[in-house]
Amino acid sequence: MLDGLIAFGNSLAGFMNPASVGYALLASFVGFIIGALPGLTATMGVALMTTLTIKLPSSDALLILICTYVGAIYGGSRSAILLNIPGTPASAASCLDGHALARQGLAGRAMGIATSGSVLGTWIGIIALAFFTPVLGEMALKFGAYEFFWLAVFGVVISGNLTGNDPLKGWMSGFLGLFIAGIGQEAIFAYDRFTFGIHDLSGGISLVPALVGAFGLAEVITVMKDPPRPVQINAFDTVIPKLIDVIKYWRTIIRSGLIGTGIGIIPGVGEDVAAWSSYAAARRASKEKEKFGKGSIEGLMAAETGDNACVPGAVIPVLTLAVPGSAPAAVLLAAMLIHGVNPGPLIMIEAPHFVYDVVAMMFIASVGILIYGLTLTGLLIKILQFPHVLIMPIIFVLCAVGSYAIASRLFDVYVMLAFGVIGFGLRQMNFPMAPLVLGIVLGDLLEKSLRRGLILTDGDLTPFFTRPISFVMFVLVAATVLMNIPAVHRAASLAWANVVGALGRKQGGV
Amino acid sequence: MDENKPSPIADFVTGAVWLALAVAIIIGAWKMDRLEHLQTTIYTMPGSMAALLGGVIGLMAIILMLRSILAGALAGVLWQKPRWMDHWRLIAVLVLCLGYAIGLVGHGLPFWLGSAIFVAVFVFIFQFADRRRDGTLIRGAAFAIVLGLISSFAIHYAFQDVFLVRLP
Repeated sequence: MLDGLIAFGNSLAGFMNPASVGYALLASFVGFIIGALPGLTATMGVALMTTLTIKLPSSDALLILICTYVGAIYGGSRSAILLNIPGTPASAASCLDGHALARQGLAGRAMGIATSGSVLGTWIGIIALAFFTPVLGEMALKFGAYEFFWLAVFGVVISGNLTGNDPLKGWMSGFLGLFIAGIGQEAIFAYDRFTFGIHDLSGGISLVPALVGAFGLAEVITVMKDPPRPVQINAFDTVIPKLIDVIKYWRTIIRSGLIGTGIGIIPGVGEDVAAWSSYAAARRASKEKEKFGKGSIEGLMAAETGDNACVPGAVIPVLTLAVPGSAPAAVLLAAMLIHGVNPGPLIMIEAPHFVYDVVAMMFIASVGILIYGLTLTGLLIKILQFPHVLIMPIIFVLCAVGSYAIASRLFDVYVMLAFGVIGFGLRQMNFPMAPLVLGIVLGDLLEKSLRRGLILTDGDLTPFFTRPISFVMFVLVAATVLMNIPAVHRAASLAWANVVGALGRKQGGV
Repeated sequence: MDENKPSPIADFVTGAVWLALAVAIIIGAWKMDRLEHLQTTIYTMPGSMAALLGGVIGLMAIILMLRSILAGALAGVLWQKPRWMDHWRLIAVLVLCLGYAIGLVGHGLPFWLGSAIFVAVFVFIFQFADRRRDGTLIRGAAFAIVLGLISSFAIHYAFQDVFLVRLP
């Protein structure tokens, strides 16, 4: 433990130079604004910043991306409280009680709760990141081709199940992503697949331009297709967090932090599910259930702690398994690869200091949101009143130039366009984007692992089901799919009720 | 989470499109060279994974179509002629964005000029109705041009001079 603290201290000291501090403050600010503006998401922000920082040293570039990510997830709470519009999907749960508090003239207190919850949630996630990354890294060393195959399937299935409100469509998005990842030269024979003679497609579809399209252009189209709504901002009191709110709800903070971190670790699920799950858990455990949805401090605290704790949580599988825990973490993973960092099971052997660098970056980002959370409300309100029609064309120019910047080729601009239009269409039909992103990231891992596993066993599928970790993952995948079949779900619920009833009778008898 | 649920008929049509895509993937995978001269097996053939994924996507597309039929997708369907003017904003944003990215970027026009034109036209078109109602069309055009120039120069400067990134 002391070694970890020393490593963290060294990493933190490494960032204490004017350039890094300046980058962190600027990126937290940009993230905060992106998150606060409805229509601009954390994924889009991190993707655009990836293109902007392509020539910077890796440590500075990743510091900027992490600060943008943390800032954006926090920033979403501001528009949720002030406008009743979540700045990012992660802040949807904060609308319920945040805006209710604002209507009661307590917008400032609500923003203070969001600030304290977000900062404390990030810190809980950071502690988990520092402790669990080495442990999970050790576990990941036991993963072979069979386990990685199921991990990829599990990621797509669980992400499809939990994001959006229609698991079937989530899975379809995820499997489309897996297919898209296979476009271009395959790994064994360098054979061109689905390239239609287009030379640029041989290298496959780059993740960052695809994400910039799916989250940038698709957002621009979504925002601009409807006439603008009038912006009404509630008056607010002081935004300084009250210590009493933190002390009174310390159990909620810890519970939500742990739930948020845990959901972050699950591949491809992300901050919105973390916020809703933390909110639901807080409501179940609360003595003031009736206040939820009507301005509950506890509810807002739970949602904000949960979504921000998810950010460090989502980075844990990125570092240990090279599998993203959320859509913005997928961009972060791509950025790490672009900058020559190779996350995965060997990270604790090859570059243990990097894990603590990431912990330090997260800590710096949390300080950034604390600073802006306490100081920038007035400026933010002016920005929130800025018409979308003036922001969206500039965002699209950034999407185009950012896509080009990755490899200096126009083809990536066309990839961005294609994914933007397809992403918009899919969203209109209720297909979630997170599983698509995860599918694109995991497609290569899935195919390599399946082929490698089958080559090792000469076509025998047995090890995919008999090795302990593989078996557990297979059961989880099968259970997730089967539980979405109404008849199976009813039968399982009935069986569970019978088991609980029988146990209750047994205990009563004793 | 998105609560806007598409209609059963929309789901049916979407399912049909996905099914067509899945069939196309399977045909594409089937037609792929199997590289038998390199002693490939069923699991190392280049098209095997795509065929498997195409099959899964096709199966889910069929389930989506069946589910939409059970929800009444085919009951009393009336074809309505699309009213394009109701969607002018969507069409305009698509035309502007595609026109800029395909026509103005990387085809000889300086980046700052192409971007300034795009931003100015975008802002002017989407503010047109309000500006005309208020009688400030000329001021609106001037504002759009100034915003276009300032934003394109700022992006040019940030990418090329601060972050040393090449521009199209």
